[in-house]
Amino acid sequence: MQFTKISLLAGLALGALVAATPAQAEDVTITVWSIDGANQVGPSDTFSAEFDAMDNGINVEYRVLQFDEIVNETLRAYATGNAPDIVSLDNPDFALFSSRGAFLDITDMAAQSDIINPEAYFEGPLNSVSWDGRLYGVGKYTDTIGVFYNKDMFAAAGIENPPKTWAEFEDYARKLAKPAEGVYGATLSARGNEEGTFQFLPVIQMSGGGYENVNTEGAREWLSMVKGMIDDGVLSQDVLSLGQWDSTGTFNSGNAAMAISGPWEIDRMVEDADFDWGVTLLPTFGEGDERSSALGGFNLGIMSTTKHPEEAFKVLEYFVSQDDRLFPEFGYLPTRGDVELPASGIEKKDAALAVFQEQLKYAQPRGPHPEWQKISKAIYDAEQAALTGQMTPDEALSQAQATIDTIIKK
Amino acid sequence: MTRFLNALRDGVGFDILLVGAALLFLLALAGAPLVYNVLMSFQQVDMFTLGVLFRPFVGFDNYVAVVQQPEFWMVTRNTLVFVFGSMTGQFVLGFALALFFAQDFPGASTIRGLFLVSWVMPGLVVGAIWSWILAGDFGVLNVILKSLGIIQNNVFWKSDPNFSIWAVIIANIWLGLAFNMLLLSVGLAAIPRDLYEAAELDGANAFQRFWTITLPMMRSTIGAVLSLGLIGTLQQFDLFPALTEGGPANTSNVAGFWSWQLSFQLYDFAKGATVSVMMFLLVLFASVIYVRSTRHEVRG
Repeated sequence: MQFTKISLLAGLALGALVAATPAQAEDVTITVWSIDGANQVGPSDTFSAEFDAMDNGINVEYRVLQFDEIVNETLRAYATGNAPDIVSLDNPDFALFSSRGAFLDITDMAAQSDIINPEAYFEGPLNSVSWDGRLYGVGKYTDTIGVFYNKDMFAAAGIENPPKTWAEFEDYARKLAKPAEGVYGATLSARGNEEGTFQFLPVIQMSGGGYENVNTEGAREWLSMVKGMIDDGVLSQDVLSLGQWDSTGTFNSGNAAMAISGPWEIDRMVEDADFDWGVTLLPTFGEGDERSSALGGFNLGIMSTTKHPEEAFKVLEYFVSQDDRLFPEFGYLPTRGDVELPASGIEKKDAALAVFQEQLKYAQPRGPHPEWQKISKAIYDAEQAALTGQMTPDEALSQAQATIDTIIKK
Repeated sequence: MTRFLNALRDGVGFDILLVGAALLFLLALAGAPLVYNVLMSFQQVDMFTLGVLFRPFVGFDNYVAVVQQPEFWMVTRNTLVFVFGSMTGQFVLGFALALFFAQDFPGASTIRGLFLVSWVMPGLVVGAIWSWILAGDFGVLNVILKSLGIIQNNVFWKSDPNFSIWAVIIANIWLGLAFNMLLLSVGLAAIPRDLYEAAELDGANAFQRFWTITLPMMRSTIGAVLSLGLIGTLQQFDLFPALTEGGPANTSNVAGFWSWQLSFQLYDFAKGATVSVMMFLLVLFASVIYVRSTRHEVRG
């Protein structure tokens, strides 16, 4: 009995060996996971298909995942040894993997590469793919936030320029709000998820703080200001539950005079908004004070479990070499400064783009920290607790600080 | 050997085979995950140990950490409000509807059948529809309440900390109403009609008949409906992401959604498992009370 089992195993192993031998001579297959293609055609799915069609001995197998699933799927796949070769993650999620060495250290490969040049990248995106001074990936595309404003409403109210400071932002919003007509002075997203942190963290940063130090005077002031505007009906209370896309939808339909959001809104706004609009940089506390803004966008990294690091790097190089197509074809901003963005010919769009490119210089990443999601929850919970009046801004931010301290100390 | 095979085909062996298959099924698909979950709540879990069974043992550290979370007591309170609010609403309205449709009028059973539509709908769809109804600035409910003169200003159902948990409760009552009504209707139909006739001859009025016949005869049905209601409410998940995402500031967060958030949004699988073990203990406690309270009674 024992003997037959062993011989059976041996037979199986031999069979596997025989089956495996011809496969070696065949093409190498690189799997790529990303959310591109889930809602609309994006860069990763397009470039994967193009690379796959080339006759270079490397096939690319592309898999679309939903935004909410991609981190969980990658975690599970990594834990069970079925990880993809290349995966594209939202930038604050990247450190969860890079800090544990789940992404391949590509510092040396990039130094040899003619295509990937780390120095060309903006500081924010570069920080989000770095850990401990080593490079674990490249930025795929990036975005940031600014203030969209309705020029027609501004003109009607006799306001000449968009707000430069938060005090002006409040002042103008209060002047522009027309509760009787269902028009709010401004809209933003203070939603209880990453979007809330995305819009609130820049305020903390420009007041001298950061994710490790959230209880700044400026942040407290800002929370009191926004709460006052919600209480007086200048902002809708629904800013607490609306995401940025829905929140900006109310701006497009003429129900809010200003909206804090990012360049992903531009194309829809060109279509939907039947009024004159413009974009300005995120306000600061005092004129000429320190600026900050959010850094959004996705990164690409090679998983450290890949069996074909060289080939995967070639795929990555191809993706990067197509960066000049990001904006004209997909409307995304590249993460590096050495890519020319061609004018679209749509006046408002080009003007908005120039502002967002300027804003990108001040964009700071969230983290990077391996437990970013917990830090982020502490921040958006504090924002919501203060804006609903459950806690004073000081209480809310102190509680967040205490939570963040225990996470960072670990 | 033949005797064994015979017993297997026809006799005690066959019974054991059937019971064994069911038990095996239960152990593999309900028992093992449960044990795994409990085990995980006593371990330190990160992405490297996600795929293995034996991880560093940390005792009750996860439990202490969960209780020390600033939102723990709010989530506990919300869970109780959500469970009692939903169950009361579903049961009282469901019972009222069941009694109503037990009356003999044309179309009664057809209309009762149509109520099932709400139960057939997936929770996410129900959540999305209620999300529109309960929207703050352009919601249907606010328009109706305003035109009736009940409210002057819009109620921000999903964003106001005083209402957010009730927004989910309202949607959940609507979702679970039909199921309650249907089970209770079956119970009502099983009560012999002659009991009511005899009571009527003795001069009992409608309220007395309900109190002394309907309720006592329905005891076991009511017990079953309530315990199923408790389980169904505790495991309600779909409505939360669709309506409030537990917000604002956790004011509508309940244990089930929190457990999911910890595991799959914050990637803290150990704490997520810990919260679900705590929920399991709560259900266990409720089931023990239910079993004990019905153990001594004679069933009709």
